[in-house]
Amino acid sequence: MATSDRIGLSLWTMQSTAARPGLWRALYRRLGEDAQLAERLGFQAVWLGEHRVWYDGWCPAPLQALAHVAGMTSTIHLGTAMFLVPQHDPVAAARSIATLDHLSGGRVELGAGLGYRDAEFDALGLRRDRRGRLMDAGLDVMEAVWRGDHGDPPPVRRAAPRIWMGGMADRAIARAARRGYGLMLPQTLSVEEYRRIAADYRGRAERPGPVGALREVWVSDDPAVCARHRERVGLHLTEEAGSWWALKGRFGFEARDQVDRQVARGVGQIAAGGAEQVAAALREVLDAGLDYLALRPVFEFVEQAELHEQLHRIADEVVPLLERAGQQ
Amino acid sequence: MRFLLEHPAPNGLDDLVRSARAAHAAGLDGVLVTEWRELPGALVTAAAVAARVDEVLVAAEVELGTRHPVEIAEEAAVTDLSSGGRLVLVARPAVAAPERYAESLDVIRHALAAAPFRFEGRYWRVPANLPENVDQPEHRVRVTPAPAQPRLEIWGAGEGRDAALERALGHLADADDDTADLAGAFAAAESSPASIGAPRARRERWRGAADLLERLRQGRSCFGQDWACVVAPAEAASEIGSLVRPRVQLDRLTPGLEEFWDEQRPWERGRP
Repeated sequence: MATSDRIGLSLWTMQSTAARPGLWRALYRRLGEDAQLAERLGFQAVWLGEHRVWYDGWCPAPLQALAHVAGMTSTIHLGTAMFLVPQHDPVAAARSIATLDHLSGGRVELGAGLGYRDAEFDALGLRRDRRGRLMDAGLDVMEAVWRGDHGDPPPVRRAAPRIWMGGMADRAIARAARRGYGLMLPQTLSVEEYRRIAADYRGRAERPGPVGALREVWVSDDPAVCARHRERVGLHLTEEAGSWWALKGRFGFEARDQVDRQVARGVGQIAAGGAEQVAAALREVLDAGLDYLALRPVFEFVEQAELHEQLHRIADEVVPLLERAGQQ
Repeated sequence: MRFLLEHPAPNGLDDLVRSARAAHAAGLDGVLVTEWRELPGALVTAAAVAARVDEVLVAAEVELGTRHPVEIAEEAAVTDLSSGGRLVLVARPAVAAPERYAESLDVIRHALAAAPFRFEGRYWRVPANLPENVDQPEHRVRVTPAPAQPRLEIWGAGEGRDAALERALGHLADADDDTADLAGAFAAAESSPASIGAPRARRERWRGAADLLERLRQGRSCFGQDWACVVAPAEAASEIGSLVRPRVQLDRLTPGLEEFWDEQRPWERGRP
């Protein structure tokens, strides 16, 4: 059993890609089944992402998908990494979050992100260059709704859910510190960067929340299997960056060398290996001052049986090593 | 005729789950959830109810007009997928922006079709092609994922009636809507062959089986009502299922059959 309040799982996206096509409704059914296993194994949360208007159907409505999970489970927390606040109507978003929090018995972990793809903002009639302002204005409105002073009658009685600010930019850290939110950092950083940012955030926050990070993991004693996993993650990230990045007016694929360098950096941060090796890599990150890890073995190319084996191995072998280290 | 059960005042998810289970047990088609007090996000609530109770339809009534319709379409698609294709989307004009209702309906219909589209209306422009969004502008946008159902039911509600009927969509009339008025509106819609089969639903307050039966027979003969959304506690489901539903399925019943049913009185013997 994992039974750790500082280890969650990520990142469900329900993508049906060219590399691994899937029937969307089957992917949502799988999400519920995966979450049930994650709950049985004692993980703290399942984390879902958000993107929109892309061929693979990346889930654009994580709150509704998490409501499905809420109905299928009873204790595991329901996280967004990230809910793109600037791309939502803040009143409606606050009400949906409050609804999810209420019907799940207070299990919401709201990761709030900016979003970065122009096409997503443009589809919704929003200016991407205003996303920082939209984030602050949106959070203000959402907090007001949760306080009950927006609308009549106040739509919610429960207090705001736990909020994590996504990102690593100075403004994201400042925003988290100022608002008393936790901080959820991306998976691409080195241990030294985690240490520096966590310290910086704690220095700035009057009442700092938890600092967490997404972290890609793969447990296997076979180096060839680990190498193959890194390769597949690399291809996954290349498709994303190649299609979505805009580099001085060019698509990522038109600046392939830059994409390749960034993908290599990301792949280099994957904690892959035997349980002891993975635990050692994760312990380093926790020791850098992080309180929480949303481990990511979930990719669309990982078959369900393979994923469930990973969840068992992480819960049975990796987490006990981490928790033992934590008690010393 | 199809039946939805609507809980009059749910205190939480458990009340709605009880309703959905009662509807299922009584052979009713599903439940309707609305934006209600602590559960103001109807699509979130609908997704959770569908996860707890298999097979029933889950209709969700949302306000349409103030929010971006693409966002609502995405939420509907994900709710439909996670429920295995059991969503009915009921859209009521937002009090704050009734003028945007009809256009919003159009955008949602485009967004739920599995093809890229461009929409340039008075209130919504999709994609917006804002000059500030310079990277990778798209001429047409494809909203993904597509819902599980090839044709997701979208119904109008309340003041949205005429806009819904003009588009050959279904409509959920309110309990107090005048029957003759409804008859006129639906008759006008009938001139379009596209409207054949478009649901004609009305909310019905539960005042007992005899009253409901009377109202449904009237609704059926006056405006072709083929859906009833009964606002009733879960306990009423078995009476609706055994006393009302069988009596409104056919144009007429064999003489003597209703008397035979009355003699059986299955509801008093603990059945079904």
